[in-house]
Amino acid sequence: MTAEPFRKLDVTKIGKVEVAQFKDKKILDESVLDELRVELFRLIADRPQLDLLLDFSNVEFMSSAMLGLLGQTHRKVNLLKGRLKMCGIAPPIYEVFKLTNLNKLFAIHKDAAEALAKF
Amino acid sequence: MHATTQSSPLAGGRVAQQRRSVDVVIAEDSRIQAKMLERRLVEAGHTVRWAIDGAKALEMVRERRPAIIISDIEMPEMTGYQLCAAVKSDPLLRTIPLILLSTLSDPVDIIRGLDAGADNYVTKPYEPDYLLARMEALLDTPLENLDETTLVVLEVTLAEQKFRVKAPPQQVLNLLVSTFENAVAKNKELIESNQSLSVAKTSLEKSNTILTQLNEQVERSNARMIRDLHAAAKVQRSLLPGAAIAIPSTTVAWRYVPCQELAGDFLNIFPLDSEHVGMFVVDVSGHGVPSSLLAVTIGAFLTPKISDSSLLVRPGTNGGPPVVSGPAEVATRLNRIFQADEQAGLYFTLLYGVLHVPSGQFRFVSGGHPPLVRVPKDGPLQLIECEGFPIGFVPDIEYEEQTIQLQPGDRLYLYSDGVPEAMSESLEQLGDDRMKALIDSVRTRPLEANVIHLLDAVQAWCQPKGPLDDVSILGVEWHG
Repeated sequence: MTAEPFRKLDVTKIGKVEVAQFKDKKILDESVLDELRVELFRLIADRPQLDLLLDFSNVEFMSSAMLGLLGQTHRKVNLLKGRLKMCGIAPPIYEVFKLTNLNKLFAIHKDAAEALAKF
Repeated sequence: MHATTQSSPLAGGRVAQQRRSVDVVIAEDSRIQAKMLERRLVEAGHTVRWAIDGAKALEMVRERRPAIIISDIEMPEMTGYQLCAAVKSDPLLRTIPLILLSTLSDPVDIIRGLDAGADNYVTKPYEPDYLLARMEALLDTPLENLDETTLVVLEVTLAEQKFRVKAPPQQVLNLLVSTFENAVAKNKELIESNQSLSVAKTSLEKSNTILTQLNEQVERSNARMIRDLHAAAKVQRSLLPGAAIAIPSTTVAWRYVPCQELAGDFLNIFPLDSEHVGMFVVDVSGHGVPSSLLAVTIGAFLTPKISDSSLLVRPGTNGGPPVVSGPAEVATRLNRIFQADEQAGLYFTLLYGVLHVPSGQFRFVSGGHPPLVRVPKDGPLQLIECEGFPIGFVPDIEYEEQTIQLQPGDRLYLYSDGVPEAMSESLEQLGDDRMKALIDSVRTRPLEANVIHLLDAVQAWCQPKGPLDDVSILGVEWHG
């Protein structure tokens, strides 16, 4: 991995799982989304069988455009036979997942501990 | 300062020939300035005594009479004015010429100097050679031994202040000449500054012309972008229902409010053949140009034009009646065409329905879209969901559709998430329950009034900023 730090993600490795926590409270602007896209793709690029946990604990507001990025991430991880899970999603944001049925596409857990146990 | 090059009426050319060595007392509280001046005076062959303030200088002068005194004005113990006044009021000392070093920040300084009896002024910062020339000139014209009776008393008003100036004529003359010389030097500087200013002005004017040209370019680009934006918005409006929607046994009402000029939402309703009516609401993620471009592209697929490549309705085989695609098939095929990966993560939600007008059978599919609202003629409102991922999320999935049997007088509402997710100033969403209650409250009124009521409520909910998302509402009533 490159030593260049992430601006939008706190990345820590717990066991074999790469845990990426979103730093922003609000993921609404296109510019924030673009930056997140670059960093997420950098994190998962060329890493076969990557176990990735996306932690939403800090996120209070999220635009539905973020779902598109999550979909892209999901697909990229799957293509390389990796596993993607998500956790710490606040109830109002979970509503967006539910409304679009994506709660059934993504593996969503209450918190990091529960998610880590399921890898 | 340019004084070294100017010809002073007092500092004649003979100074250089008559080099003499005199004793100088300097009163100056700045050590560095004193040392610089001292070095220059010593170089010119003089002896120097330095006092750190006026009081010390006066002691030195009394101890041994110098040929000349050079004094700063601002000093902690006894100012230059006070030193000057003390020297000039002492009959034994008053003929010692005294030069004041002034910053001349205030014209009143000159009057104060006159009043104190200073013989000459040099403004700071000064060229040492200029000061030396002044000094030599003063030494050349010894001050007459004055008695009090020859003193001129002048009353001067300067800056609304009255001054009574009592000074011997020679001193007045010296001081006035030095002031005049200062003025000439300042004037010369001013003229030069003026010339630089005029050069700067010319170059500013040039820059200004360039700026104006750039500005015009920006304005032209801006005007072009606004024209393009209007044109794009026009293309997008062509995706909306036409002015007159004539569908048998059916009433239609719709409202569409984009939150920016270009939207990600669009909706339409149209006859597919003699018996079927197609209708949809599409919501592309994001806003602005990228989303609206994708919306227009999607719109090109969702037309009722009968063709072999059409998603919605294809010509019948062997000249038979056209074949209307089922909603699930439409969603499945759209999902194959529009994969989010290939369009920078943009995806869209869709609710597509087909109403069979003769029977009132309504089939619909949802690609991650908010549920349908059904208002039965008699009975409570229903939110009807149909599960399905947003279009473009998961490749090669088969969508499933739902079928509802409408009763005469039933109404259906299709809408985008801009309605239930409308955000109030305190960040509270309108929500499904409030949305249902709003529709319920006016259900006995005509369909059009219902749609307007719901839109007005959404806009009121989002005050003062207005909706942050596009708002689409499509209402349909089947009369049976």
